[in-house]
Amino acid sequence: MNLAVEIAGIRLKNPLLAASGTFGYGVEYEGILDLSILGGIVSKGLYMEPRDGAPTPRIVETPSGLLNAIGLQGVGIHAFVRDVLPRMAKHDTALLVNVCGDTVEEYAEVARVCDGAPGIAGLEVNISCPNVKKGGLAFGGDPRMTREVVAAVRRVTRLPVIPKLSPNVGDIAVFARAAEEAGADALSCINTLLGLAVDVEARRPKLGFGTGGLSGPAIRPIAVRMAWQAARAVKIPVIGIGGIACASDALEFLIAGCRAVQIGTANFVDPGVHERVLAGLRDYLERHGLDDVNSVVGTLEYPGLPRPCDVPGTGGEGGCA
Amino acid sequence: MYKSTDPGGAVIIARMPVNRVVPLVAREVLGEAYLLLTFRHPETAREARPGQFVMIKAGISAEPPLRRPFSILSTDAARETVTLFVKAVGPGSRRLCAMAEGEEAQCLGPLGRPFTPPPAGVEALLVAGGYGVAPLRFLLDELRGTGGRGTLFYGGRTGADLVLLDRVGGPGVTVVPATEDGSLGERGRVTVPLEAHLDAARGSVRLYACGPDPMMHAVARIASARSLEAEVSLDAWMGCGVGTCLGCVVRVQAPAEGRWKYRCACTDGPVFDSARVLWPGEDESRARRASAQEARR
Repeated sequence: MNLAVEIAGIRLKNPLLAASGTFGYGVEYEGILDLSILGGIVSKGLYMEPRDGAPTPRIVETPSGLLNAIGLQGVGIHAFVRDVLPRMAKHDTALLVNVCGDTVEEYAEVARVCDGAPGIAGLEVNISCPNVKKGGLAFGGDPRMTREVVAAVRRVTRLPVIPKLSPNVGDIAVFARAAEEAGADALSCINTLLGLAVDVEARRPKLGFGTGGLSGPAIRPIAVRMAWQAARAVKIPVIGIGGIACASDALEFLIAGCRAVQIGTANFVDPGVHERVLAGLRDYLERHGLDDVNSVVGTLEYPGLPRPCDVPGTGGEGGCA
Repeated sequence: MYKSTDPGGAVIIARMPVNRVVPLVAREVLGEAYLLLTFRHPETAREARPGQFVMIKAGISAEPPLRRPFSILSTDAARETVTLFVKAVGPGSRRLCAMAEGEEAQCLGPLGRPFTPPPAGVEALLVAGGYGVAPLRFLLDELRGTGGRGTLFYGGRTGADLVLLDRVGGPGVTVVPATEDGSLGERGRVTVPLEAHLDAARGSVRLYACGPDPMMHAVARIASARSLEAEVSLDAWMGCGVGTCLGCVVRVQAPAEGRWKYRCACTDGPVFDSARVLWPGEDESRARRASAQEARR
């Protein structure tokens, strides 16, 4: 049975990646998990310099969800390259770096550092973090800026460039096309949804930053819809993200046209989630008499629309089953 | 698993936690809202140290999403069990408290940096605020096992908050209860009998505290004024327990770096040197003064 997929030239042994911000730099889970079972890991967001992140409180639980404003606390790209990459080299899994910047130039600068470092499989460009005052959503909320950031990163690296799109926009297809035209090799869809939780006793936001990003099973139907819309809009592959906690959640994204998926908040709930989802994927393929996970990609029978995998030149060219 | 807190020091990861489905093997109701829940988790039972915790969640339902951190009250290596002191306060703890014996929870442990045991001949003074007694009771057990001695100042609003009062004593242990309403022990804050004890103490002592932030802050001030070493076990909302979500961070002074830094309560703590903690409401200028003082000492 084949579980391997290929995204923008990156071969993943299976379609499951750990989402940025939910798996640290990977090394935190050494000894707790066998990291080699993961298709890949996307690092916590990295700027050129270390970052303090947002004031506390930073997380609050909501119905079937998690609202966070961590604010991209991080060690900076140089410490990552120096301290983390050598340790991660011994784990047989694809390591992607989530690239952040306050300015277009900073995104490019981080990407340039990554380009010269060994052991990085690709770059996820974070133009969608809702919890920083500069960069982040400011770039991902404007198609012109999206194009500019992606093109700037594209110019300085041979690594696959994978912008992470925001759901906090009117039509994600516009942003997906803008990123594709600027040279993106794949798309990650979606980042968290902008939310606000209020402490009614204090009449203040529950989070120190004020607003936050909503993740977890609460956002899954929105995420599947937006990943599906993005996949229909572009030729490059789409990685689905949003509330995946079990195999059928992952399959929703694959069937909707995503070539791979990322597991985020569920890593906090159950460090063994990847193993569980993988077992469920194998079981599903077996039950459906399939021997390749790629054969479910884009097989959504949507009323009035052709199956994504039947449309030549769209993101779902997985080969329909 | 925990990291060294030496500023700029190498990250030391010790005692890898193990993620398990754990059956509830014993359930004991204490008072109106508290329970002792005992789960079978062999690795935690064997290796956990006082001050460490587990991340646990009843069942596998989506609601509430996250596991909850609980300090370890006691372990039994022979029976491979770990006992938690749980109060039903929110959806996560309520579901744990509603578990029947034989039902299963998901549990990751042992986690966090433990208390530093007192050196030989140093008296341990433990200050507990209500629910915060759990990790200190574990520390007392360990002290008893090694022939040490300790005094537990056990405070609460009323006598009903001192649920474990009849379970914390024993050879070498003195228990001093205090309640704000005077219904049990001395009337007033628990730091009043602590200060009286310190005024009379002759030998060297080391403080350990766990309870509400204002109580731990008060203990930190007392330790600072008297140049005593103190460790506090901080409570924070945690997402993961292993240092990846960065949701549980607290402000900790890093003298070598000249300013405070956010540190994870889960992996850099939950036990911290009280002199390094920047308490809620404290500003950075006070922190700078404090670290400057420390540098001079």
